[in-house]
Amino acid sequence: MFYRRAGLLHTRYQDERQLWPFAFDRGLVGCVCLVLVVAPFLFERLYLVTYLLPWIIWSTAALGLNLLMGGAGQVHLGYGAVIGIGAYASVHMLRAGIPLEIAMLGGGLASAIVGCLFGAAALRVKGLYLAMATLAMQYMVDFIISHFEIISGGTQATLQVPPVRFLGVPLSSDAAAYYFALGVCVVVTLFLLNVKRTSFGRALAAVREKDYAAAVIGVDSFRFKLLAFWVSSFIGGVVGCVLAVSYYRAISPDQFHIDLSIQLVAMVIVGGLGSVLGSFFGAALILFAPIVLNHLVGLIADLAGLPISADLRAHLPLMLYGAMIMGFLLWEPLGLAKIYNNTRNYFLVWPFRHAR
Amino acid sequence: MSVTRRTLLTSAAAAALAAQFRIDPAAAQEKVIRFSMPQDFTKIYTFVTSEYNQGQRDYISLVNARGGINGYTIAADVSDHGNDLPRAIEAFERAKSQGAVLVDPLSTPVARALTPRALADKINLITAFSGRSDAADGTVFPYVFPLSPNYWTQIALLVDYFRQQSGDLKGKKICFVHIDTPFGKEPLPVLKRLQEKLGFELSTFPYTPPGNDQSAIWPQVRRARPDWIVFWGAGVGQTVALTEVIRNGLPLNKVSSSVWLSESDMDVVGRSQAAGVLKIEPCASGRAPKLIQEILKEVVEPGKGAGPTEKVGTAYYNYGVMLASLMVEGVRQAFARAPQGPISGEWLNAGLTSITNFDAQGLIPPTTVTKEDHQGGGKARIARWDGAKFVPVTDWFTAYSDVVWEVIRESAAEFQKSGK
Amino acid sequence: MDMSLILELSVNGVFVGLMYALVAAGLVLIYKTSGIANLAQGALAMMGAYVIWAISAQMGAPMWLAIPLGLVVMFGAGILTERLALRRMIGQPVIMVIMLTIGMEIMLRGVLPGIFGAAVKKLDVGIPNDPLFLGDILINRATMVGGLISLGLVALAIVFFNSRLGILMRAVSDDQTASWSVGIRVERAIAIAWGLSAVMATTAGVLWGATQGVDWSLSLLLIKALAIAILGGLDSIPGVLIAGVLVGLAESLATGFLDPIVGGGTRDVVASTIILVTLLLRPHGLFGREHIERV
Repeated sequence: MFYRRAGLLHTRYQDERQLWPFAFDRGLVGCVCLVLVVAPFLFERLYLVTYLLPWIIWSTAALGLNLLMGGAGQVHLGYGAVIGIGAYASVHMLRAGIPLEIAMLGGGLASAIVGCLFGAAALRVKGLYLAMATLAMQYMVDFIISHFEIISGGTQATLQVPPVRFLGVPLSSDAAAYYFALGVCVVVTLFLLNVKRTSFGRALAAVREKDYAAAVIGVDSFRFKLLAFWVSSFIGGVVGCVLAVSYYRAISPDQFHIDLSIQLVAMVIVGGLGSVLGSFFGAALILFAPIVLNHLVGLIADLAGLPISADLRAHLPLMLYGAMIMGFLLWEPLGLAKIYNNTRNYFLVWPFRHAR
Repeated sequence: MSVTRRTLLTSAAAAALAAQFRIDPAAAQEKVIRFSMPQDFTKIYTFVTSEYNQGQRDYISLVNARGGINGYTIAADVSDHGNDLPRAIEAFERAKSQGAVLVDPLSTPVARALTPRALADKINLITAFSGRSDAADGTVFPYVFPLSPNYWTQIALLVDYFRQQSGDLKGKKICFVHIDTPFGKEPLPVLKRLQEKLGFELSTFPYTPPGNDQSAIWPQVRRARPDWIVFWGAGVGQTVALTEVIRNGLPLNKVSSSVWLSESDMDVVGRSQAAGVLKIEPCASGRAPKLIQEILKEVVEPGKGAGPTEKVGTAYYNYGVMLASLMVEGVRQAFARAPQGPISGEWLNAGLTSITNFDAQGLIPPTTVTKEDHQGGGKARIARWDGAKFVPVTDWFTAYSDVVWEVIRESAAEFQKSGK
Repeated sequence: MDMSLILELSVNGVFVGLMYALVAAGLVLIYKTSGIANLAQGALAMMGAYVIWAISAQMGAPMWLAIPLGLVVMFGAGILTERLALRRMIGQPVIMVIMLTIGMEIMLRGVLPGIFGAAVKKLDVGIPNDPLFLGDILINRATMVGGLISLGLVALAIVFFNSRLGILMRAVSDDQTASWSVGIRVERAIAIAWGLSAVMATTAGVLWGATQGVDWSLSLLLIKALAIAILGGLDSIPGVLIAGVLVGLAESLATGFLDPIVGGGTRDVVASTIILVTLLLRPHGLFGREHIERV
């Protein structure tokens, strides 16, 4: 119906190879982009600052992790630490008076270097063991950040982000901060959309499917595993900088704990391993489910006048959050992206039912 | 099958979204003053929050049942931020958009993260027993209100009490056992300065958060043969520390903690076994104070209590009443200065900074908040657990405010230098 | 530093390590039969402690009755978990299974405090708190009793693996398809492994609950248990005992010697370091079987 695929004939290879071969998809992407661009004028400040902005930032982070987990098949339970390294490195540079443009890249580089240390473990072990190794590293980075006052910033352990400018524009207003985050997100998204079509992306896919087999056909699996860690950690570091500058504005060690890592892995999995679109869906669901559930539970309890205890009411969102992660894995392991695809496939041939 | 499930999911998501975007138009016209209380019910503070919050809501119910203030009632929006910053920031911004004049997050990491926002948006951030200790300096933090003795004042109070008991601290040994987080390390600068001043020996023992296993720490404390012991933590760390004190046979009457010790902790350790341990009381505990009696009579007995009745009068419940009474007193003062409003963060700020000699009918020490001093004088008292209740062993007092304020000013100046 | 402090820290460290080993043994049991690392093992321990607290303090049953009842309930809960959740995950990538157990951990951390209240609960199993001195050395009664019980239970598990049922389970762990073909009911073996693992978690939960009180922080036992399981080898029960003692010793001594140097609580970092060093030097652990991957 919407897609009007009937009669759509590509006459050039370029047409068929483009990211969105259907006009309808292109239109949809265009609409979403347009909404995102005019969002500061469209939405109330509350929704811009507390929903849209974190969603953009967390989605970027999920994309970075998805490159590693979905693209190269390496489990990573320490991505929160990687983001933390980027945040701390860039904020320290900013406080030393280095401009944001360089500090952002510096944060990315710092994360990439440490991230490669995480990756070194991947050269030795894989699967479950790699998960454990990255988990252990997460704890170690936490410890180092919080125990060196030079890094964490004195007894209060809080680093203020000084006022910054990006390309001459001060990021003090909400809209400027939002556009900054959106810009980074767009660059990362475009990179990930295209990476699958490069030799690098195909090599990663080969390593993901079977590293020995990849080695047999001449793909240096060690090199590409490390490269995957390098690129994904670089993205993580840049996200850390964006997070500190445009959202948190003051960073402290507990912002980058194991909880953040688990949150990000959940985003990638609930969204769909290896799916760019899924990262956005997953970030939205995992980030906002606790908030929405909290309001919803409160609302229902108030409306229905249910005599539930404060403890139960407070813990209900946590239960539902856990149950949601389990539910997705049990009923739709390929995540929200798969659900979206099913819907799309259904409408591709609607009103016929030939999709399966 | 798949279609029905999908419809189900979509409609659930749509319902959730609709609930999100619901904005309450009626609330804006009513005569309501909004307090926002996003607090941590699930992660670290858990039962501390439930008891504290229960006290706050009961006091606010009492005020509202008596007709409110100037015809205005107080609405307390309680939510859970689970010590998670995106959720806390969402709650803060929501509070702001709904016109809340005050936010009380009761969490150190959240209060620290919200500080720049509160200062920029001019919303009063209550950081009682949490947040930045240097926020006591109102000149640098005009919109952040600890309204209670901060941790630096608390440790100074304890050291002064030890000095009173021992006569002279020179050559005496104090062991400081603390949770290894910024909160736990906070008293160290003041302790070190007092050490130079008074000449006691200081040993510090950090334990890994949340402190559920401290079995390797306390033998070292015992072997250090301390004259006084301070343990500084929260939640499960406190009960474990106290249990280990008993298991190591250390004298309980030489052991003290901060304000974070309550009847609930004693239940876990064993009420009679823990007899003798000291704590700091920022307000009277138990049900004896007149204000708690009034709450019992007018709120709890008619069945309007916010939680289980047996919690009324416990330490954290009374902290909640204390803070709520200070907030409401701020509202009263604000009305006294500007009866017509407009009701805003700035309006309440003027009220909070003109609280003078307020003692909540004997529940709290006489408290005066000024534009410079946001902790309200820093008075508290030391209390001893006698096996059934906390019995005060001193009168309200404050100690070494010169040293404490020196540290506060240094730290605040550093914040000012780096922040803007 | 003086010898008696070292001795005291070592003795207590060994006992604490044995108590951790009990949680790790549950992990190993599940990994051995089904190749899954159950990251909800800590949450299961927490659940067990809550259940027994509920039976004894809320329903008023005496402790000698509450513990067996709780164990039976948790055995059922373990079997149910396997049947309802994990069996559907067969054939999925490792990360999915890891995430499922993490999801379960998050959920349990909400369910139990939500129902029974978030305040720390006292679980009194009758171990007195009075100090027990052996000369100059203090023995922590709670950890001593806990450590000895753990030792007994893990030893029992080793014996169990030599019984008929145990041999069946070892066969399953060796090769599921082959076991199937000779008539072993693989699903039943895995279900029993989950039930037993939940029972072990519960005993660990009770022992820890008796020393620290019952609240959500019991689920943090997981990271120590992981360190032990990995050091000992994920598929070796005797390895758990030795690794438990080693990790307990290392943590206890690190608290004594490293903390003053670093100026921070090093306990969790010690566990992380052990995990990392083990994985880099000897991924299959001290006693685990080397896993050979075929292409």
